[in-house]
Amino acid sequence: MKPAPFEYHAPESVDDVAGLLAEHGDEAKPLAGGQSLVPMLALRLTRFAHLVDLNRVAALRGVSRDNGSLTVRAMTTQAAVERDAEVARAVPLLARATPLIGHFQIRNRGTVGGSLAHADPASEYPAVALALDATFELVSKSGTTRVAASDFFEGTWQTCIDAQQALVAVHFPVWGGRCGFACEEVARRAGDFALAGAVAAIEVDDAGAVRRAAVGLFGLGPTPLRAHAAEAELIGEPPPTPDGYRALGQLAMRDADPVDDVHASASYRRRVGAHLVARTLASAVEEARQAHDPPGAARAR
Amino acid sequence: MTTSPLQTAGRFVGQSVKRKEDPRLVTGHGRYVDDVTVPGMLHAAFLRSDVARGRITRLDVAAARECSGVHAVLTAADLNDRPAGPMLPSMFADGSQGISAPVRPLADGDVRFVGDPIALVVADSRYVAEDACELIEVEYEPLTAVVDFERAADDTENLVHPELGSNIASTMATPPDAALDEALSRAAHVVTETFYQQRQTPTPMETRGIVAHWDPYAAALRVWMSSQNPHEVRRTCARILGVAESRVRVVQQDVGGGFGQKYFMPRDEMTVVLASHLLGRPVKWIEDRRENLLSSNHARRDRATVTVGVDADGRIVGARIEHLEDSGAYANGGTGGTGMFVAMMFPGPYRIPRLGWSTTAVWTNTCGRGAYRGPWMMETVAREEMMDVVARAIGLDPLEFRRRNVIGRDELPYATASGMVYEHVSPSETLEQAASLIDYDGFRSRQAEARANGRYLGVGLGLYIEPQAGMGALGVEAANVRVEPDGTVNVFVGSGSHGQSLETTVAQVVAEHLGVDIDAVAVHQGDTDVAPFGGGTGGSRSGPILSPAARQAALEVRDKAIRIAAHLMEAAPDDLEIDGGVISVRGTPARSTTLAQVATTAYQQSDLLPPGMEPGLEVISRYKAPPVMYSNACHACTCEVDAATGHVTLTRYVVSEDCGVMINPMVVEGQIAGGVVQGIGGVLYEQIVYDDEGNPLTTTFLDYLVPTAAEVPVIEYGHVETPAATPGGYKGMGEGGAIGSVPAVFNAVADALAPLGARVNRLPLGPSEVLAAIEAAPAR
Repeated sequence: MKPAPFEYHAPESVDDVAGLLAEHGDEAKPLAGGQSLVPMLALRLTRFAHLVDLNRVAALRGVSRDNGSLTVRAMTTQAAVERDAEVARAVPLLARATPLIGHFQIRNRGTVGGSLAHADPASEYPAVALALDATFELVSKSGTTRVAASDFFEGTWQTCIDAQQALVAVHFPVWGGRCGFACEEVARRAGDFALAGAVAAIEVDDAGAVRRAAVGLFGLGPTPLRAHAAEAELIGEPPPTPDGYRALGQLAMRDADPVDDVHASASYRRRVGAHLVARTLASAVEEARQAHDPPGAARAR
Repeated sequence: MTTSPLQTAGRFVGQSVKRKEDPRLVTGHGRYVDDVTVPGMLHAAFLRSDVARGRITRLDVAAARECSGVHAVLTAADLNDRPAGPMLPSMFADGSQGISAPVRPLADGDVRFVGDPIALVVADSRYVAEDACELIEVEYEPLTAVVDFERAADDTENLVHPELGSNIASTMATPPDAALDEALSRAAHVVTETFYQQRQTPTPMETRGIVAHWDPYAAALRVWMSSQNPHEVRRTCARILGVAESRVRVVQQDVGGGFGQKYFMPRDEMTVVLASHLLGRPVKWIEDRRENLLSSNHARRDRATVTVGVDADGRIVGARIEHLEDSGAYANGGTGGTGMFVAMMFPGPYRIPRLGWSTTAVWTNTCGRGAYRGPWMMETVAREEMMDVVARAIGLDPLEFRRRNVIGRDELPYATASGMVYEHVSPSETLEQAASLIDYDGFRSRQAEARANGRYLGVGLGLYIEPQAGMGALGVEAANVRVEPDGTVNVFVGSGSHGQSLETTVAQVVAEHLGVDIDAVAVHQGDTDVAPFGGGTGGSRSGPILSPAARQAALEVRDKAIRIAAHLMEAAPDDLEIDGGVISVRGTPARSTTLAQVATTAYQQSDLLPPGMEPGLEVISRYKAPPVMYSNACHACTCEVDAATGHVTLTRYVVSEDCGVMINPMVVEGQIAGGVVQGIGGVLYEQIVYDDEGNPLTTTFLDYLVPTAAEVPVIEYGHVETPAATPGGYKGMGEGGAIGSVPAVFNAVADALAPLGARVNRLPLGPSEVLAAIEAAPAR
């Protein structure tokens, strides 16, 4: 379990990162927290002639809020997100998903950008980004590009980032009004990748009817997924009954495409996925109905 | 948490003395085999087969040999004619223990499992060695692999080892028994069920590893190895190199767990020794985690079909067990077969008047089977799971059914139908203590309330008797107790710890019986040049067999010290006592001398010794144990099953243990806890998986799941103390934690699922399996 030989680069600016990626193309790979890439290199499941370590690029760290969105720069660690009060106020779903990622040691190294660019379909952040319609900011030598989350994830461990580009930031819309959020998953052990998981974001109007709904699925297909049919069913309606939530869970599984592996069967994932969608929706709707606070001030749990 | 007052606590024995090894281990200063560096040392990596069964049609190592930094690329052509003796454990080397797989250093012409070593690259670094492995060109003609152990015996076309002519590694059975047939035919109830235990692997925190240094000028071999059994390593090295055992020195340092995987000398380590001998250079090989999961020994993988007959009062009248086990391709030690022990121990703690059994071990094109903490545990797994199945079938509570059948103290000695004779055991007492500690009756009422609210709670018991091997080579241990001239004590022991705290417990025994402070005692283990010959640590044997040797040596040294002191002090030996290294006249503490003075006299002033006494203050004692000794315990566990997700949460865990006199209750409880965690893993998480072609699907810790602290409940302990009839009264208990926990957790889950009509009989019970069982339940 020793990686194949590679050349190590440690640039300190985004320009230098873009320059190295332009120079080495698909022989280079950006190294973020290394929590997935390094084991894959050690197992020789993948190899790159050049590793471009982003850890010394100070401009790639930090969180800021402006104009209704929260910008999380790519090298912000999961541990930093977990502790950040602004994240908890502005994008509660991101804050609540974070403790489910690995173990604290992993979150100390793992980064928001690394997790999203790795695009494991069973991980939490891709589903959060997709559900909230986040925007991905990519930089290459030829400039900056913004990509919608719906166009970002292309397959298991595959995104639209090309070999010359680096993910530098993710912009999460801040939901206003009476909102509620929930993230739940079933994993074999604490910290494992989810067998199935769901995130839900709900806004209700003054009458308590659902105004906005977003449901993200993870571990339930080759990429993170949106349960569009279930979302459409909710919007404009009063809060569902328990049976109604169960039916929405079933409906959400129309958008799922899970697989069998050593940990669980596809049918298990569907059944549990439906259950988790029902639970997260019920929890998010209830939180939204309880919310009287101004926009963006939903309580962190 | 210790609940029972100890009957036999001494000044050191019976006390939870802090572990002597911990300061270095918990600060990261332990010294393991990978910490060994020898000048001129090279690094090895194996190229392993990636097909399960096939002929090697092309093997070209030319490019690898030309790789910069590579010293040798060795294949079967280089190494396979070098072993001077069988590459088998010493106790199997003469063939008297049955058929063994034909073990050779490297695959020769064909491969027999994914992970089979084909070539060994020796290079300046492990990095270079792995780079060179990638340059080896190998092509196979794949053959149909024997993967399903339930069909292997009948497969006469595809043979794992063509040399052996059959996929049956061993098979045994009791003769027809008309009395058993009669008992079963007259029974009020006869219940039959089949149970499966899945393939697992021990996953020691420290993987295997060796540094082998053949010095051609000294004509001597020096080995550092992560091992449970350095003298076995020395014997094996001498045999395969054809050199005298006195030319081989094996050093076992700190070992990060073995659990059976490091009891014998594995094939890969032997191959590294042969490579060092060929090259005349020190060679290091450290197994990586992928290799450990792929090609170290696997374990478990059993099927047992059990039939139990019960009379109208719920008393067992007879039983049958048909056992099948998967030996893999290269079982570590003969067939790896434990079937006879499974059969012999099947009656466990119950009155089972008649028993019939059969057992078969089969070869498959998978990683070989080896010992893993409680290698024969299928007897307890099948029996204890069956006790609950039968109890449910006849409408008795599983606790009540056990009460009606458990052997009571007044029935001892008790001879089982398989010919084992129990004495000094307390299964009934541990059953009652565990039931009381877990508040069994209270739990049953809380369970009923929870069910009314749609929640599924369960309780499970696992009652067992744990044998300690004392037969043959396993029956003897030695300790050398040497008082140095300053009165401090060095103890050299044959058995070496790989986590069992012998460095502390042996010191406790010696300090107690010699009469010195525990800080004055240093225990040395694992170096064959200084340690007396020993049988290694395994089979729960070091506590009950090594400790009496240490005790006896300490008592003999004490006796000699007293006789010297009596001579010096002109006192009667019977009037003297030793405490804290001071020898004084009982009742007159002012009249005293020290052990240091006595020892100095013994070594350096021998003219002052009693006439005729041999100088020195040192004794080697060997203890021969009875062939089998028994400890016993009862595990009790409660859980909640989430019927929507199949997720199992363990809520309480209780163990009532009787291992006789406890040398160190904290160490005993630590041993129990470690075993329980492995058993929890064995029920809820761990499984080695192969696909139908024999490709392993679980080669990282992302796939092979071991429980972490987050998955394990607080473990509570109760103790019953029935001393063994051996010096000191100690019993072994190293494996039991891993044995009783499997049925306890399984039965708790099965109990929670029972009202849903869901039946389970296979391990593991991951959430997917639990939910599948609920879905398959007949409509209620």
